[in-house]
Amino acid sequence: MMEGRCAAESWAEFGLLGKSGSSLVKCGTGTDVFICTGGEEVYVFTAQEKTLRAVLQMPAAVRDVVVSHDEQLLFVACWSGVYCVNVQLLVPRVSSLLVVGSVLLTLCRTDASWSLTLYQIQRTSQSDPCDLLASFSLPLVSPKVQSDTESRCVLVCVYPGDLMPASSPPHPPRSHYPLQPLLFRRLFGAEAALSKSPVVLCGLPDGRLSFLPLRIPGSRLRILHSLEQSVVFVGASAVMETDAGCAGCLIALGKQGRAVLIRAGRAGLEGGGGTRFTLGCVPGPVECACMDQSRVYYSTGSDLLMVDLWDGSSGTAGRQGDKEDEASRSNPAAFLTPISLNVSGVVALHQPARSSAGEVQLLSLSVRGRLQSIRLPVRTQEDSLSKGPSSQVGRSVGDILSAIGDICERASVLKTIIRSKNQILKQLNQVVNISFLLSNRSESDLKPVRCRGSVRWSRLLQRDSLNLTCVLENLSPFVLERGWTLSVTVLPLSCPLEAGGEASSVNYSFPFSGLGPGESVEVSLPVAAAGDASFPVTVTCSLLFSLWRFLGQEEATAPLDLQSACFSLPLNTLTVDWLHALRLSDPPAPARSSSSPADLLQGFISSRQLRCRGGQASRPEEYSARVRVSSELLRDALGLAPGSPRVSLLEWLLSEGCGGVKMERKGIKTDGSSSVICGSAPDNATVKLTAEEVNVEEKTKPLVIVEVQVKSSSVAAVCGLHHAVLRRIQTLLQKAGSSRMVPTTDLRLALQQAEEQRGQVWEASSVGVSSGQTPPLLLRVYQQLRDGPLLIL
Amino acid sequence: MIQSTSLLESWTQENNQLASGCKLSSHVFLLLCLSLSGIPPHLDRAQLELSVVYNTCVCFTAQSQFDEAELLLTQTAQRLLQIAGDDPGTSDPSVLWRTALKSVTGTALHRRVLSLLCLQWGVWLAKSRLTAVQDFQEVSLLEAQSGAVWNDCRAETKEKISNIPILVLDPRRLVDLLKICTAIVQGAERLTEGWSVLSALQAASASPAPRALIAYTHLLSGSCLAHMNRPQMALQCYRKALETDPRCVCALYQSALIYSRLENSQAEIQALRILHSMLLLPSTTEPAMAADRLLSPSLFLCSQSLSSLLSVPSALSVLHSLALKCVIHSRVSEGVECYLDLLAALQSEDQHGVRVHAAVSTLPKLPRLYLEAGAALLMARRPADCMALCDEVIGSTLDLLPEKVLLEDPVARRVAGSGEVTEEAENGLVRLLWTAAAYLLQGHCYSQLKDWKQAVTHYTRCINLLVKVHYKDTDKDAEQGVDLCVLQRLKGLSLAGRGISFAQIDRLREALRDLQLSRQAHPEGVSARRWYGEVLWRLDRKQEAAACWEQTWSNPIPSLSEALPVYAQELQSGPLLDSAELRQKLQELGPT
Repeated sequence: MMEGRCAAESWAEFGLLGKSGSSLVKCGTGTDVFICTGGEEVYVFTAQEKTLRAVLQMPAAVRDVVVSHDEQLLFVACWSGVYCVNVQLLVPRVSSLLVVGSVLLTLCRTDASWSLTLYQIQRTSQSDPCDLLASFSLPLVSPKVQSDTESRCVLVCVYPGDLMPASSPPHPPRSHYPLQPLLFRRLFGAEAALSKSPVVLCGLPDGRLSFLPLRIPGSRLRILHSLEQSVVFVGASAVMETDAGCAGCLIALGKQGRAVLIRAGRAGLEGGGGTRFTLGCVPGPVECACMDQSRVYYSTGSDLLMVDLWDGSSGTAGRQGDKEDEASRSNPAAFLTPISLNVSGVVALHQPARSSAGEVQLLSLSVRGRLQSIRLPVRTQEDSLSKGPSSQVGRSVGDILSAIGDICERASVLKTIIRSKNQILKQLNQVVNISFLLSNRSESDLKPVRCRGSVRWSRLLQRDSLNLTCVLENLSPFVLERGWTLSVTVLPLSCPLEAGGEASSVNYSFPFSGLGPGESVEVSLPVAAAGDASFPVTVTCSLLFSLWRFLGQEEATAPLDLQSACFSLPLNTLTVDWLHALRLSDPPAPARSSSSPADLLQGFISSRQLRCRGGQASRPEEYSARVRVSSELLRDALGLAPGSPRVSLLEWLLSEGCGGVKMERKGIKTDGSSSVICGSAPDNATVKLTAEEVNVEEKTKPLVIVEVQVKSSSVAAVCGLHHAVLRRIQTLLQKAGSSRMVPTTDLRLALQQAEEQRGQVWEASSVGVSSGQTPPLLLRVYQQLRDGPLLIL
Repeated sequence: MIQSTSLLESWTQENNQLASGCKLSSHVFLLLCLSLSGIPPHLDRAQLELSVVYNTCVCFTAQSQFDEAELLLTQTAQRLLQIAGDDPGTSDPSVLWRTALKSVTGTALHRRVLSLLCLQWGVWLAKSRLTAVQDFQEVSLLEAQSGAVWNDCRAETKEKISNIPILVLDPRRLVDLLKICTAIVQGAERLTEGWSVLSALQAASASPAPRALIAYTHLLSGSCLAHMNRPQMALQCYRKALETDPRCVCALYQSALIYSRLENSQAEIQALRILHSMLLLPSTTEPAMAADRLLSPSLFLCSQSLSSLLSVPSALSVLHSLALKCVIHSRVSEGVECYLDLLAALQSEDQHGVRVHAAVSTLPKLPRLYLEAGAALLMARRPADCMALCDEVIGSTLDLLPEKVLLEDPVARRVAGSGEVTEEAENGLVRLLWTAAAYLLQGHCYSQLKDWKQAVTHYTRCINLLVKVHYKDTDKDAEQGVDLCVLQRLKGLSLAGRGISFAQIDRLREALRDLQLSRQAHPEGVSARRWYGEVLWRLDRKQEAAACWEQTWSNPIPSLSEALPVYAQELQSGPLLDSAELRQKLQELGPT
């Protein structure tokens, strides 16, 4: 029987188990626990800190795990074989490794320093596979600067060239360089030279190049040089042929392309033991590098470059060393001129291999994860190249072709980018031009991009509505391309009292793409519905430009401050007034029409309504207003032949576009003699417009005038139409530019009348608001004003 | 109520299972501890709870998690006070424990609390908080009184073992261990401060403890006696330490130091030889503490002054001093063997070397080692080997030599405090002296081979190098350096060597000039003076020669000293003048 409650504490989460492998948990070294979840990973978990220490990725599903007796080796069985992992070496944050003889060196960054740790790796005895030998540390320069832990460190080993380590294979391993004894002595001192000690060079991401002689008692990590940029590569090269396999020059390459060449100078120089540090620069960034005898190959990511360190000077170096020294010192760039090899995207390189024919082969890894073998042609003169065997020529042609292919690919991508950028620049230029064009002119000028409008009544779903067709014309020499939007704002000048007296505007926007010079685009929008009497309506047009729409980005991804990415250019303003909104019907007397049956029906019903109303009550009060214009003036302004200016006036009034808006009408039916036009206002009141030619006897001379009279039972209609007629005549006369004398008597009379009416208005207002007498009084004054108008000469 | 007792039993069983398990871990105990601390403190369960806390803290201590142990101990003390209803109103551990101990006096819990207090003592000791330990020692008197009580309890526990929670470590053993460790650490601390701690150490050495610890007490007694200027008694103590624990290498090292002070070179050499061979044995530097025990004494012996007292130089350093001692004390052939062993060890790819190198080394620089070895070979009449070594030194330093060395004003050097810097980097002067010494040794070799022309050539090379050093001849104080002294010596020796060589090929004028210059450079040079007299004699300036001899007769060639490099001293390797002959010559001259 279980007593008490068992406590299950959750330590870590490893996700779902499953897949093909087996699930295991085993305890290993100290507090380590090995966990397999059935996948290809073995997790190493420390029970002490309750953290995951390492994840071992195996090539196949893990079947079993076993720990050796000394708890140092972990054997993992997979489908593909048994793998051995040294658990002791699961050291975190190791950034570089190097093996010198039977010593494994690891370089890792701790919080405050770089530490180089030496482990003994013994191949013979399994009892003590990895023994910590020593650890050396070098403090960080400043923890803030070296925040990037990702950059790798460089670890190489150099040893005096006259000493071939007994255990070394015939070919020196990678990252091991035999150094000219003289240079070795001068760099690392007599002690290192005496002890024939291998020296480990560390290139750190902070640019420091430090060294540690391995076999000297009490040696420490010391600084050799500072590149001041992340060290990417450290290598050694033979300076001259006489060096016989040992390198006379150490080279270190920085991330941004700074290079330092370290050579032994002439003997006996004061201080420094005669070591010469030559600084140079190659076009960076240096992603990775490798070198063979005298050439450095490095990749900038976009190209693989080769630098011949001793190009040309190698022959002369032996004979006139001093001169060559001077030359290279004064002109360090001379030997750092890279030659492009036209291979892009290389991110890792292995030490080049040279075939017996002198051909250099590089093994590289591209940024896309492709393993490439790069074969460089034999470096000889042109003639020897041409003399090469045909297979070699064929191969080199193949190489060149592949290089061309590579470049083509690169070039086409670049071309596309450039083209699209050019296109965008061109379009932006158009946008800027248009903006100047539209913003420079003053209001009065006619803008090269403008809107025309025309209105028509249309019927949709049994409802009549007045539609404005707005035509945007581009008369400028520029193209309006994508990104532009036509924005139309409809603002009634007044609005019915019941709507609160506050006019509310409606905004329509029409994005369009591509409007060439001389082209136009047509948009249609409702202005008012039948029964809506809030005329005149101001229609403001403007062009909006949105950068986001221009760049083809989705609205959703656009940042919130859309306003800043958008600007607006005002165009012209259209006005739709009562005359535009007037629906004509046939004059009531001869009921003859060619209009559609629906119109007929409507006309009939409305006339019936009128009759009925008239029949039942007293005849409804009819309001009227008059405008009187001198015929002569009209004729001049309209450019008509003397005849019947009254008819033409009415036609003109109804058909002429005013305020940029035209009325589409099929034809105006007027009675030949009376010239009467009947119609219905938007508020469905019938209106009658008459134009009569009247002879007026002025004091001095007889005068023929045209009198336009508006009659309707609706005050609003009369007012609106009167205003519309006056406005048109005003613009007409302004256009004609008439400047005539006004008879003074008339003026006096008009003044008298005006005074009288002013008195009446005053009286009306003083009678008091409470009495309810004011509106009729004011109406009377208004009617008097409209009825006895001034004659426009 | 029944449930509560059964729960108590199950916890007790769990504790006992864990404690008797082969692998002890603080985690499982901690879990049990946490589950116990979840319930309000009560007297019934206190016994069990204190036992579990004890076990947990022992595990923590064994894993060097002293902070965790201390935290748990403090919490437990506070819980105890909750049971008793006391509130000391402080978190000072010593006050807490005093109050807790007082509150449980006379109850069954007393000895449990005492054992916890012992653990607290151990934690203080491990953290080198010796004042806290001292405060506690008054309390530990109480513990001594209660020893009888413990024994009683011991008897009764044997009967009903299942109901009593098992402890992983017998508290009495813990007390014993802590006592001797405290004595050792306190002894070391006080010794460094210059106190006499002999009686305490001797008392501790009688207590039951591991051999290694007893050996330490003897060792510390020895050091104390050595401080009190009683070297023979100190040697006795060191001998006892070695007898107690044969792996106590530092006793051997300290004995060697004492012999050196007593100028008993043969014994010193013997001690060094044994020390070196013991250091080469695997794992001797780590005193073998009882591995099967839960708590290693080394956990409590982490005082700084103790480790400095126990420190022993590396095997290579010991070998070097052994070699040097042999050479200086006229056991040249042994010295040569040691030097060759040393060089071989340094050259080998044996990585044992690397590990030693990583520690701060007391070995001199490699070229100096080579030159010392060369001098030893020369003294052993192996000039060819000596020349090979010198060639190596010359080869590695020759192209690093400066054109000219200008020594700064000694005062300015002192102000700059560049002592460390010169120590650190091999500067131009040091390299130059190495090369010059190598040439000097080669000159000596050729003169030993009686190839006088070659000898002259090499002495000349040495002289040419030495004259590159320019300095202001102000005052030759000690700080001005061994370097300058070595320079003067080398100058004197090389000039003397050349002079003697010239004398051998009958170029007496040059010989006289060189010997004269040598006497100026190094007035103490004995062979230069004697040869100066000899050359004068041959030049038929017998009176002067006699005066010169008379002057030098009284002081013989000084024996080698450790103050200067061997190669910068007179090695008696060259042609010697027969003293009897000289005496005869003088007597010849005397009557006239």
